[in-house]
Amino acid sequence: MMRFLPWLYLLAAFTFIYLPVGVLVLFAFQEGSLPVPPFNGPSLRWFGEMLADDDLMAALRNSVLVAFGSSAVAVTLGFFAAYGLARHVLPGSAVIRGLLIAPLTVSYLIVGLGLLIVLTRTGLGLSLWTAAIGHVVINLPLAFAIIYASMGAQQQNAERAARDLGAREAQVIALVTVPMLRPAIAAAFFLSVTLSWDEFIIAFLLTRFDVTLPVEIWSLLRSGLSPQLNAIGSFVFLISVAVVLLLEVTLFRKPRP
Amino acid sequence: MTASVTFQGLNHSFGTFQALSDINLQIEAGEYVTLLGPSGCGKTTLLSILGGFLEPSEGQVLIGGQDMTRVPPVKRPTTTVFQDYALFPHMSLRDNVGFGLRMGGMGRAARHARAEEMLDLVGLKDAAGKRPHALSGGQRQRVALARALAVEPDVLLLDEPLGALDLKLRRLMQDELKSIQQQIGTTFVHVTHDQEEAMAIADRIVVMSKGRIEDHGPPDRIYRHPATLFTADFMGETNHIPGTRRAEAVETPLGLLPAGGPPGAVSVCLRPEDIRAGEPEGLSLGPAKITSAAFFGTYCRVHLAPRRAPDLTLTAYLPVGRNWAKGEEIEIAAAPEDFRIFEQEPG
Amino acid sequence: MSARGDQLRGWGFVSPALIWTLCFFVLPFVVMGAMSLATLEGRTLVWDLSLANYAKLFEKAYLWRAILVSLEITLTVTAISILLAYPLAWIIAFQVPPRWQRLALLLAILPFWTSYVVRSYAWLLVLAREGVVNNALIGLGLIAEPITLANTRFATVTGFVHFFVMLLTLTIYANLIQLSPNYRRAAMDLGANAVQTFRHVILPLTLPGIVTGAFLTFVLCIGDYVTPQILGGNTELSVPQVIMVQLGRRADFPLASALAIVLMSIVALAYLMSARWLRIDRL
Repeated sequence: MMRFLPWLYLLAAFTFIYLPVGVLVLFAFQEGSLPVPPFNGPSLRWFGEMLADDDLMAALRNSVLVAFGSSAVAVTLGFFAAYGLARHVLPGSAVIRGLLIAPLTVSYLIVGLGLLIVLTRTGLGLSLWTAAIGHVVINLPLAFAIIYASMGAQQQNAERAARDLGAREAQVIALVTVPMLRPAIAAAFFLSVTLSWDEFIIAFLLTRFDVTLPVEIWSLLRSGLSPQLNAIGSFVFLISVAVVLLLEVTLFRKPRP
Repeated sequence: MTASVTFQGLNHSFGTFQALSDINLQIEAGEYVTLLGPSGCGKTTLLSILGGFLEPSEGQVLIGGQDMTRVPPVKRPTTTVFQDYALFPHMSLRDNVGFGLRMGGMGRAARHARAEEMLDLVGLKDAAGKRPHALSGGQRQRVALARALAVEPDVLLLDEPLGALDLKLRRLMQDELKSIQQQIGTTFVHVTHDQEEAMAIADRIVVMSKGRIEDHGPPDRIYRHPATLFTADFMGETNHIPGTRRAEAVETPLGLLPAGGPPGAVSVCLRPEDIRAGEPEGLSLGPAKITSAAFFGTYCRVHLAPRRAPDLTLTAYLPVGRNWAKGEEIEIAAAPEDFRIFEQEPG
Repeated sequence: MSARGDQLRGWGFVSPALIWTLCFFVLPFVVMGAMSLATLEGRTLVWDLSLANYAKLFEKAYLWRAILVSLEITLTVTAISILLAYPLAWIIAFQVPPRWQRLALLLAILPFWTSYVVRSYAWLLVLAREGVVNNALIGLGLIAEPITLANTRFATVTGFVHFFVMLLTLTIYANLIQLSPNYRRAAMDLGANAVQTFRHVILPLTLPGIVTGAFLTFVLCIGDYVTPQILGGNTELSVPQVIMVQLGRRADFPLASALAIVLMSIVALAYLMSARWLRIDRL
């Protein structure tokens, strides 16, 4: 009995973890109009409706734009800040590091609220741009922390060697630092894309007419349960899983000992 | 507290990899034995089996005459000093050393007294209240030793205990290990890949290669009269001279050696310190030219091209009394008993 | 290169990120702090530097109740998540054969990547009156009538626990696996049984990981709006929900700001309490 206990627990835990996902995906193939038992199907009806929904498709495009755009900015700013702090002696660098990391410790809701107040006070309108600004605020600390942590002595020596051989600072960065830090930069970028792609509350507070996918899903949710939501949810989940698996087998695969 | 150890017909494999083949070995109570060999030779596997962390695929382990093959580590009269020491970072040295006693149900005061006694033995009494991270590598090593000895094991297992220390400290700790072992009389089984370390501390060396025991015996015997070519090579630098055995002598490019045995190709080994120069005493190897020379403090290490076989390079450790110059030609010789002759292994 | 020139270049690299953070994080934060001291009279803002909004937290029952609700939910979720995640991480680290561990871990956290809004929605489906849980319970003959699971605190806690069990399994697993296997061996070797090994060696060694995970859970849970909004119904509101109500219906930015400051203070307090074991640098 004691021998099987761990496996029983594992089974129970996996059931709990996969229950909502399983139900979500299963009822995406529901024939009827309610995503609850009994299951009729399978049918691709709701996937069809999803693709035909212009608002949803526009939101999908917006989400991709905001995710990639904000991540590119966050990673670029994060990289330069990490380079500046790791390679140059600056007074008060501990304070700067703390300041750059600080947004990590604050709820997204509060980040969004602060920006909302400033934007409405200054009369700047809300748009996809403002949502992207918010996403840069939350992803910059992560990108900075990941890249800063990976700037070790090994790279520094390679940079010194390059400088010694006559490379200017821009050449050092482009030809030595960035290629050597590629795994960390890619990790920061994709993590940032995933978080932005999935982020709701900031996008909800800071967009108005053009919205991102989570916000659009939210507004669909107000009209109640529908297999169309299951379809879009499954679709988003499968994309995320594909990206995660792709990263797992390419970027983060450790050589087997 | 001490006990003998017996391995009987031990075999162990990891999947298709045969880690140990037919190990038979008797270790006497109170003996200091080192298991010596290159990485992957099976020495650590053998130690893990003795400690109870691995169950052998075949064969038996006896400790003090009792079958312990399937007894878990907790119930064995053995303790281990791990390579990474595995000191508990959240406990003081006193609590680390007293851990085994606490598990054995000893009261707090008695346990602390005993732990401090053990720390005293390894010279760390004053640091009893410190945490492991505040110590140097050598000090951690001592705490690991004190912790393992505190429960008074019959057999102490040491898995490359000095591997993480620098050379000077290693020599110091070797002397200390040896003296502690003599003081308490517990059987020590010590795994290492450093033959100098093995020679410095062991009563007996067990040389292993590819999962087999190649040779075992006291250090001087192993060094002077190795049983196999592998042992000869592993125990220190040696010259290899190809030869052919006929009737009562071995024919080599350097001359005939008187030695009997079955005819066939052999390998003749000669330690560099056994080559004598200048005053040709013993068996003459003819004149040889010095092709390079380097000063090593207590001796001069020179490469020699013998005139009888110019393609053969011999290495010799010559006394530092005079200057051995490159290009100089000298007479060399060696005592007949210093040559070791091994059958050529097939392949 | 002179030290001055070097410093100047350093500032050149750091300043874009620094300016961004100052403009879009620090400044809004300061404005929010100032806003919490303003009051709303009718529809106009009055910058009167009063603590009226903070006083309201004590006066109005729905406000202090929200704080209590948030704290209760967050502490419950943190405790349950640790209790469920620790054994799971343990089993993956020490029971699953090494070659399957990476797969097991990947599978255990894969649903983590379900969209955040969608995940709560999926739990709504599971717990709905006509949902699979009620169906299964009726099918098994355990209940005769569907029970109310959705739109309750139970549903909120379930949704949260689901998310945080995955997160904590990851952090605790990472902590367990980086311990040298020799710690366990040494403890066993010195006579400790499985329970003693866990209590005296493994648990203390993984405490930093647990506290870090718990802190992360606390921060993310107490500031979340989506999960209680979708799953909890409107019988009781958490602080983020009340903030959103202030923003939406009444546009009461001052009160919303005050609540946000309170939320942050609670997190800061939690940080101070767990700082001894926290290793922020390892996050």
